[in-house]
Amino acid sequence: MIEKGKISASQMSVMMYHAIIATGILFIPKTVFDAAQQDIWISPLWAFPLGLLSVYIAYKLHKLYPDDTIMQYSEHILGVFFGKVIGFILLLLLYTSISVMVWQYGEFVVSEFLPHTPKYVVIGMMILLCAFAVHGGLEVIGRLSEMVFPVFFLLFLVIVVLLLPDIEIKRMLPVMENGIMPSVKGSLALYTWFAQFGIIYFFFPYLTNREKGMKWGGISVLAVTITLVLTNIIVILVFGRVTGNFTAPLMSAARYISIAEFLSHLEAIVMAIWIAGTFIKICVFYYALVLGTAQWFNLSNYRSLVLPTGFLIGVFAIQAFLNSAEASEHFHEVSHGLTDTLVYGLIIPMFLLSIAYIRKMKIFKQKGREKK
Amino acid sequence: MFNRKKFKFNRNKERQIDEEVLKPLYSNLEKNTEVLNFLYEDCSDVIFRSFVIADQIKAQLVYIKGMSNIEEIDSNVLTPLMQQTDQKSVNPRLLIEQRVSVAEITKIESFDTCVEQLSVGNPILLLDGDQQGYALGLAKWEKRAIEEPSGELVVRGPREGFTESVEVNTSLLRRKIKSPQLKMKTLKVGSYTQTTIMITYIQDLSDETLIEEITQRIKRIDIDGILESGYIEELIQDNSYSPFPQVLVTERPDTAVSNLLEGRVVIVVDGTPFVLIAPTTFYSLFQSGEDYYHHFIISTATRWLRFLFLFISLLLPSLYVAVITYHQEMVPTTLLLTMVDSREAIPFPALVEALLMEITFEGLREAGLRLPKQVGAAVSIVGALVIGQAAVAAGLVSDPMVMVVALTGIASFTIPRYNIAIPFRLLRFPIMLLAGTFGLLGIMIGLLAIIIHLSTLRSFGVPYLSPMAPMKRRDLKDTLIRAPLWKLNTRPHLTGEYNKYRQSSNQKPFPEKESGEE
Amino acid sequence: MKRLKIIWLIGISLFLLTGCWDRRETNDLWVVTGVGLDQTEDGEIEVTVEIHSPNSDGGEGMGGESSQVGGNKMIHQTGKGISIPKAIEDLDTQLPREILWSHTKAIVINKALAETGIREELDFLIRHPEPRLRSYVFISEGSAKDIMALLPPLERSSSEVLIELAKSEVLMKVTLFDLMEMLKGESDAAILPMVDKLPPEEGEQPLETNAYINQSAILKNGKMVGSIDDRLTRGVLWFRDEIKEATVTVQPENADGLISMNLIKGTTKLIPEIDGNQLKMTVQIETIDDVIQNKTNWDLNEIEKQRILEKELAEAIETRLTDTLEIVQKEMKADIIEFGEEFRRKHPEQWKGIKKDWEERFPSVEVTFDIEAKILRTGQGNVPW
Repeated sequence: MIEKGKISASQMSVMMYHAIIATGILFIPKTVFDAAQQDIWISPLWAFPLGLLSVYIAYKLHKLYPDDTIMQYSEHILGVFFGKVIGFILLLLLYTSISVMVWQYGEFVVSEFLPHTPKYVVIGMMILLCAFAVHGGLEVIGRLSEMVFPVFFLLFLVIVVLLLPDIEIKRMLPVMENGIMPSVKGSLALYTWFAQFGIIYFFFPYLTNREKGMKWGGISVLAVTITLVLTNIIVILVFGRVTGNFTAPLMSAARYISIAEFLSHLEAIVMAIWIAGTFIKICVFYYALVLGTAQWFNLSNYRSLVLPTGFLIGVFAIQAFLNSAEASEHFHEVSHGLTDTLVYGLIIPMFLLSIAYIRKMKIFKQKGREKK
Repeated sequence: MFNRKKFKFNRNKERQIDEEVLKPLYSNLEKNTEVLNFLYEDCSDVIFRSFVIADQIKAQLVYIKGMSNIEEIDSNVLTPLMQQTDQKSVNPRLLIEQRVSVAEITKIESFDTCVEQLSVGNPILLLDGDQQGYALGLAKWEKRAIEEPSGELVVRGPREGFTESVEVNTSLLRRKIKSPQLKMKTLKVGSYTQTTIMITYIQDLSDETLIEEITQRIKRIDIDGILESGYIEELIQDNSYSPFPQVLVTERPDTAVSNLLEGRVVIVVDGTPFVLIAPTTFYSLFQSGEDYYHHFIISTATRWLRFLFLFISLLLPSLYVAVITYHQEMVPTTLLLTMVDSREAIPFPALVEALLMEITFEGLREAGLRLPKQVGAAVSIVGALVIGQAAVAAGLVSDPMVMVVALTGIASFTIPRYNIAIPFRLLRFPIMLLAGTFGLLGIMIGLLAIIIHLSTLRSFGVPYLSPMAPMKRRDLKDTLIRAPLWKLNTRPHLTGEYNKYRQSSNQKPFPEKESGEE
Repeated sequence: MKRLKIIWLIGISLFLLTGCWDRRETNDLWVVTGVGLDQTEDGEIEVTVEIHSPNSDGGEGMGGESSQVGGNKMIHQTGKGISIPKAIEDLDTQLPREILWSHTKAIVINKALAETGIREELDFLIRHPEPRLRSYVFISEGSAKDIMALLPPLERSSSEVLIELAKSEVLMKVTLFDLMEMLKGESDAAILPMVDKLPPEEGEQPLETNAYINQSAILKNGKMVGSIDDRLTRGVLWFRDEIKEATVTVQPENADGLISMNLIKGTTKLIPEIDGNQLKMTVQIETIDDVIQNKTNWDLNEIEKQRILEKELAEAIETRLTDTLEIVQKEMKADIIEFGEEFRRKHPEQWKGIKKDWEERFPSVEVTFDIEAKILRTGQGNVPW
């Protein structure tokens, strides 16, 4: 195997948690609000089964091919040529997906904190940092996410608690004003995030306790759902109908905190947890991309690919969108239609799984015939 | 196992000392004396004393001045041996067994053991016609008394500390662990110094492979001399580019013993009071032996205080720089206005101001360490007060900056171990630069880089950040908190599971019976 | 590994050496604490900023010898232009340093500007990443520039006076965020405190006086339509369940003097009801008061007297509320008391139909009161002397 390190199922769970929530915590409230209005806190609940499904499919595939990642079993299932084709598509999608994440990170930092700093510097620094971590391997990323998680969660709770004086229950009312549909529509946007759980198929083979993989994967989806519900509730309770005016409502909420005149403007805390989370997120995807690429080329070591891949991601992330209007158009389309994450997170694994089952049934029938 | 020659001699010399040393002793005393004379040519501290045993056998006593107990040589060796005897022919070996009243006598067969014994201070007794020499255990040299370790002071706890002598140090350990399970393996390292290194561990508590690994790493060392355990530390650690210590260093026998009991290996090096403990983790570097002697709530609070001050010592100047130059909105308005006022006349950017003050402070601190004791105190107080005061008065730095620097300085002293405080003192500067360039983003980037580095580190197979990452829930009881002793039932998980339970459970004290009011 | 290190090195030195793009030393900043927005008669916008002027000898002030405290440290500067950004641009050309907006805590808008509409101007303030959502917004009777230029005798600056006034919550307290919420609301009406300057004491300089809040401005569709006085403002506060401070003075029947009561706690609940085509609103108020002054010869410890007093109190509140409704609901037709929101919350289905012509239907909402007043303590002096 290319990766010699092993992680525990709980480490994987924490990694996936960060990989989904990091950007979600900032942008989800606004994205969902456009459709769901004051019901945004219900939407994650609708998206929850989708996340679970992604994990479940990946787990089923893992059960069939316990030592392989998707890059390898796609070849087993479809044969070398079609397997490579699927793998290539997958890598391409992953690549664009990371680039968009990195772009989002750069755009946000530049627009909110460092308006005069060139974006390539901000992005380049993050990619270098991630390259450093990815170079360390899976174990390092696992440990990093374990280190970051308690801090992340604690600071998140601090923000929530400090916002409590500003909440007003009536901002959440009426619940389900227009029935169930707005919140379901809102959850469509969430699919983009929840489908990303699919990339868990890159990590299942490297677990020390594989039997717990599904359990911890599920816990991760649940944790993400709960965090999102909590975020959305607090945002809607603080900002109500104004939520849509902010690109990153949680950040603005943190900015709004004011306790005893001194504890005010705590957006730095949000920025800190967000940067730490985004860092893990990029690392996880970056690692998956590098590992996948190495497996696609049948290389024996992925480390030589780390920097070139990082460079490509950086270049694409800087070029991704011309301006925020173009980007918001992209995100609008993404949140209401078929998304790239849905393709690599759900559709491709589902396709592979069904083919695998059909082939298995054939083999089973053949064996049955032979017995006769 | 040891195919290397013990001593290394200069091969350019015409004399073939190398070969001589490896030879066994001759039965001819004169020849033996000649070889020894040859080896110790121009060594005026080596004394050759020839005498005659019971008027019959010629003998030679060799010792090094100042390293052997001369009175005992006189009274226990020379006097009895030189006495007359009635017997016509004496068996010298028997005679030595009969007359020499020395507890430890080692038989010597070759010159290199001869040299080895001499170098530790044991006098050598050579007899004519005997191919065997005797090393008498009469070494005695000046040693420092056992004192309270000055580098690791405690309020409560034993006041004894290791000394420079390996024998004293191992005896301190043995006095605390009476079980024969305490094992000590001796290795000699250093082609000239032949420094004794003791690998100490408790059998069945330490992982065999760990001991093997440590022994191998020490054996791999090929160096001319070992002067301090720092040499060993640098030559055996996993990642030598890391500024973080991967081996724990202590002067305190109680700390060493508690680590032995947790299954770690203690490496005692002759000539230094600092022993090495391996493997170590990041969190154990923030623990002081005293944590276990005070009430657990107090110890836990102290640990939290240390972590808080660790962050202050690492980040405070950077946070100040970031906030004052990038995130002015985070400061409450009134405070900002005050800060603006005090910075108004300062010619430097905040970053330069911070660097200037921090470097000055580090310089002062270093000066305080090196200065003779008599002037040290005066200089550090005067330096701190006068320079701080004068810098503010001269308009070079602002008042808040002086406070930040002072607090940072205090904070770095709260870390109980000097060797972990240093990397944080150093890393403060790159983070300050990052903060000056990117504000809080820079600080986060710097912190993340440090965490990545820490995650890649291992100390003898143990992940540096364990038990936090990878998470070992059982060991968390003694990491960020210090659980009560009666809860610390298990040993920390290092490389393997050895003797998992250290005490019986349910030891929470409670009164035996409800005492009635009688 | 080695290559990686070299790349790291190059990367880091590149970043560190190329400079600090967003660095802003405090020496190059001027901290703005308050902003005044005026519309002049020729239709231009004037932006007046109140700037804290750094006291340059602050560094020497070891031991508080600085005598500057309390002295004038504020600078006022005005920029003109056809829009706020233009006016700020003009301002920038006048000021040698960069302006730090993020500590702006008071925003004063003059009446003329409020009457033409503040929604567009607000858009700039919200979009700008710096001003705080918690900045207090005021409407000024005269020009905002004059309010800003005051040199209050006690506080450091006039914006500080305004902030303290708002915080005391005697009358309206509206932050930028509250304003956004009101303008985004179902009824599109907003209420803002109005400030005016106190006439200066005799012998004082004309500028050495305080600003004070005495009225509230009512905005509809982002445009100011009128104002109500402090008594009615408290009525509105009752409706909005924001009442914090209120003193009610009543003269009970067959009593020979006045009794004043101070509010301890007041909660308001609006209960909407839709009865066919008729919209009804029940205003449920619970209030607990203390007696602070008793000019009558009543012994308030008598339960009976207390009952009478409680009834009087409830009536006084009701009168105030009906008076408020008279102006706000019937005359101005501005739903600043958030009836619309309540209907939407309670009856979301019907609301969809009502929403379209809410402006016409709002004045016809039938309001009933259900006020429960209690007197908790009657004060030390139970028996009048």
